Amino acid sequence: MVQVQDLTKTYPDLSEGTRVAVDRISFSVQAGEIFGVLGPNGAGKTTTLRMLSTILRPTSGQIIINQASIDTEAHLIRKSIGFVSNNTALYDRMSARELVEYFGRMHDMERDELREKIEVLFKKLCMEDIGNVPCGQMSTGMKQKVSIARALIHDPPVLIFDEASVGLDVIVARALLYTIAGLRDEGKCIIFSTHIMREVEKLCDRVAMMHRGRILDIGTLEELADKHEQNDFEDLFFSLLTRHDQVTDQVDMQPLKPTTISRRPSAGAASV
Amino acid sequence: MNMKWSRVWLIYAREMRDQIRDRRTMFTIFVLPLLLYPFMGMLMLQVAQFNSEHPVGVTWIGEENWPQENPLIVDSDANRRTNELIRWNYLATSELKSDAQAEAEALVREGRADLVLITKPGFREWLSQSKLGVSKETSPATEITTSATASSTASQTQSESGSVTESATDVASSKSPILATQSGGPPPLLTVVNQASDGSIVALKRVGNLLESWRSAWLREQLAEANLNPSIVDVINVERIDIAPPETKQALVWSKILPLVMLVWALTGAFYPAIDLCAGEKERGTLETLLCSPASRTEIVWGKLLTVICFSISTAVLNLFSMQFTSTFVINQFASAGATDVVQALGPLPFSSLTWLIVILLPISAMFSALALAVAALARSSKEAQYYLMPLLLGGLPLVMLPMLPGVSLGTGTATIPVTGAVLLSRALIEGHYTEAFLFAPIVIGVTVTCCLLAIRWAVRQFENESVLFRESERFEFRAWLQNLIQHRTPTATANEAMLCGAIILVALFFGRMSLASNELSWSSMTQSTIVIQIGMILAPCLVMATMLTSSIWKALRLGRPRLADMLFCLGLGISLHPAYMLLSSAIQTEFQLGADTKEVLGYIDAMISAAPLWSVLLTLAVIPAICEELAFRGFIFAGLSQEQGTLRAIIVSALFFGLSHGVLQQTIGATIMGLILGVVAWRTGGVLGCIVLHMTHNTLTMVVARAGKQADLIPRGLDWAFERTLEGGLAYTNTWTILSVVIASLILAALVFNKQSSVSCFWAKDRVVSPES
Repeated sequence: MVQVQDLTKTYPDLSEGTRVAVDRISFSVQAGEIFGVLGPNGAGKTTTLRMLSTILRPTSGQIIINQASIDTEAHLIRKSIGFVSNNTALYDRMSARELVEYFGRMHDMERDELREKIEVLFKKLCMEDIGNVPCGQMSTGMKQKVSIARALIHDPPVLIFDEASVGLDVIVARALLYTIAGLRDEGKCIIFSTHIMREVEKLCDRVAMMHRGRILDIGTLEELADKHEQNDFEDLFFSLLTRHDQVTDQVDMQPLKPTTISRRPSAGAASV
Repeated sequence: MNMKWSRVWLIYAREMRDQIRDRRTMFTIFVLPLLLYPFMGMLMLQVAQFNSEHPVGVTWIGEENWPQENPLIVDSDANRRTNELIRWNYLATSELKSDAQAEAEALVREGRADLVLITKPGFREWLSQSKLGVSKETSPATEITTSATASSTASQTQSESGSVTESATDVASSKSPILATQSGGPPPLLTVVNQASDGSIVALKRVGNLLESWRSAWLREQLAEANLNPSIVDVINVERIDIAPPETKQALVWSKILPLVMLVWALTGAFYPAIDLCAGEKERGTLETLLCSPASRTEIVWGKLLTVICFSISTAVLNLFSMQFTSTFVINQFASAGATDVVQALGPLPFSSLTWLIVILLPISAMFSALALAVAALARSSKEAQYYLMPLLLGGLPLVMLPMLPGVSLGTGTATIPVTGAVLLSRALIEGHYTEAFLFAPIVIGVTVTCCLLAIRWAVRQFENESVLFRESERFEFRAWLQNLIQHRTPTATANEAMLCGAIILVALFFGRMSLASNELSWSSMTQSTIVIQIGMILAPCLVMATMLTSSIWKALRLGRPRLADMLFCLGLGISLHPAYMLLSSAIQTEFQLGADTKEVLGYIDAMISAAPLWSVLLTLAVIPAICEELAFRGFIFAGLSQEQGTLRAIIVSALFFGLSHGVLQQTIGATIMGLILGVVAWRTGGVLGCIVLHMTHNTLTMVVARAGKQADLIPRGLDWAFERTLEGGLAYTNTWTILSVVIASLILAALVFNKQSSVSCFWAKDRVVSPES
């Protein structure tokens, strides 16, 4: 469903000349799979996902989503994806219903079809009560629901969540993870970026660990644990970082409380 | 992907709805105009009333010296009204502790009086003795002078023959006047005022009216007593016959006010929505949502642009209607109060004027809106956008104000100036000069639409540019920046570096020309000045920047190996373009007449050039400028500006820099047009050498034709098909050759543009830095 090959993004930089934000990364994601992109702040996660959602153009490399290439068919890719980010805000002066309808019409949906779809979606996401509330008056959790509804309105096969749980309280964050897991069960291809390891453990079928624009390793949690002989996921992540550079000089690597990687029954199952 | 107008409409409808729901925008766009003009009218009426009704304090020193039988306040309604607005305070000369003038200056300076009138001893006696037929000194001539620069003028006010002479002393000036009563003349009346004070100015006017009225009455009395005709005072009575119909005069007043109001509000009305729709969306984080939707960048820009245009037009139109309503109401009030002069001068604002203004407003608003949108896209926040938009307002205002200057009217030249042409066209339409307006309307509309399309293109490019849309906050560190310049040099300059180079050249030329202007007018000094300007101020900045900022001077200056065919094309283009350029130059000179002083200097320079050796003239005015200017404008600057698919930008901006570097308006216009052609040549040949050949050929022909015209009475042998003698004795191209050469030049240009892929172009393109956006 999603294929990324040697994807690179550089920015001009006033002092460094060119800054590499994403450095030749490759991965692929299948339908019915949640692919986690884990990394600290500045790892290049947001830049990668912005390129996947056609907001940024890659400097080099290839992205193919739903058989459309980003170089020539970016408009087709936009129809195939739904993008939710903690950075993406809503129009404060529009109600939830107006906003979702606006993006539905942007995807050339017919009015009748759109109305039906909105009713179903709002019911599914428990949003019936907030349909006519202006987004500016909503809580963070409500806004996140509206964002998801906006991303789902055109029923895209690929969903991209960029640190979508940042700023949410425990209850809303948990509900979000349930929703995402449910979407996977419906056969959606989901790319989920976060810097919270527990979310990856609970949700993701496969994970790519990013640092300084590069993917340090990629695989299922079991594969990674076996490969690096680390049961603790946090230790595993830091050991990879240590190998990549000298971060350990600045960070105390001793774990306060080891976390055991929870073994997942199988990819594709709702496990939250 | 083709643009879908249904999506544009969707974005437009959403943005409009969003803006309409915003109370601040609604207040600025709709409520403010409705309140502004009534408030302004009220304020102006009150200020005017305050100025006219506010009493002023006048101290009269030496009132006892005034003749009792002829009181200052002559019996008339006007004088009585004036007198009511003066608070008189009297000081006898005997009460003074010091000199009368010093005392008066102190009173005014300390604000205890707005004006001090001094009547010196002997004034009354002089008047009683100076009767017509009694004293030979008396005559009807009277001089009343008020002076701000006291000492110099005051002495001139001593009129030997005047019955009353008033001198004004200004305490705001540093020197005190030295007054001397001439033997035989009356002791002067002295008014001490402070012309830096409004109160003093009003007092001076009122006291002046009283004195003039008294002088006139006294003179008539004297004439009557001497059995002479008193009407001799009014020997010259000028009557004015004005053929202008009242409505035309009223239109003239409105035609100057309305376009200014309209354009300022159109610009202001575009600002706030543009800020909210670009910087505001970035700030709120909603732009990202829109960018990953199926709408293309062009559709997004058009949707937003239509919204900004709507608000720009609405603001301007509402202001116009509010102004129309308020002015009609106020003028009706004046009419009912009997103030016919105000009613005749202004008259109600005609609706036909508003219609014409709205027609002109459409393209102008579109241009302002696109510019505002493109500039606002640069900003990361609304606050930052306001900083960026202020220069746009300051840059636009001179174009709006230019038509207000006396003598500026609609013509071929002014019609080509963006905004100014539109203002002048709307003025012509309001004044009812329809023939003139419709004659120049195609030029104005053409220029405005072109500017509008360029502005829209710029706005779309801004939205396609990631470095603009997702600009992070930058912390500038000079050392790191310098290190980067040296360590990470690219083969050619960046667009910003090219713009900086152009700006440096223009500033250097401004100061350089000003300092060299004082040099003596001789051929040797002119040669030196030209070399200093060309090498020191045009070539040097781009050479220094190319050395410091790029990794290859060769590529930075676009010195690729040229093809022989390119050089021949450019030589042919230089020859075939020359007649058309001469024609253009002559048309520009006709449209924008040179001043007499400039003509005289140019004539002298012309004579100097004719007398100088030809090789020296060609070296100084053809070879050196062609090399220096082309390396700078079509070399370094063009290479930088053409980065990131900016070929059109490179052609237009390098031509503008080239034109502006010529200093004189007439040359600037011609050079800008030539710069555009040179830009196309630079683009298609891929290097600068073809441009040097073209430029050198052009300058050489100009010098040679001018010299041949002066040195021989005959047309050069074998060239009578191309040249003919002008009435002034110069040499000019024949019409046949001019037409033929234009055809040839067009063919060569077409060959360059449509059928050519230069090897130099490819060679250079290979070495371009891959930009993140490409």
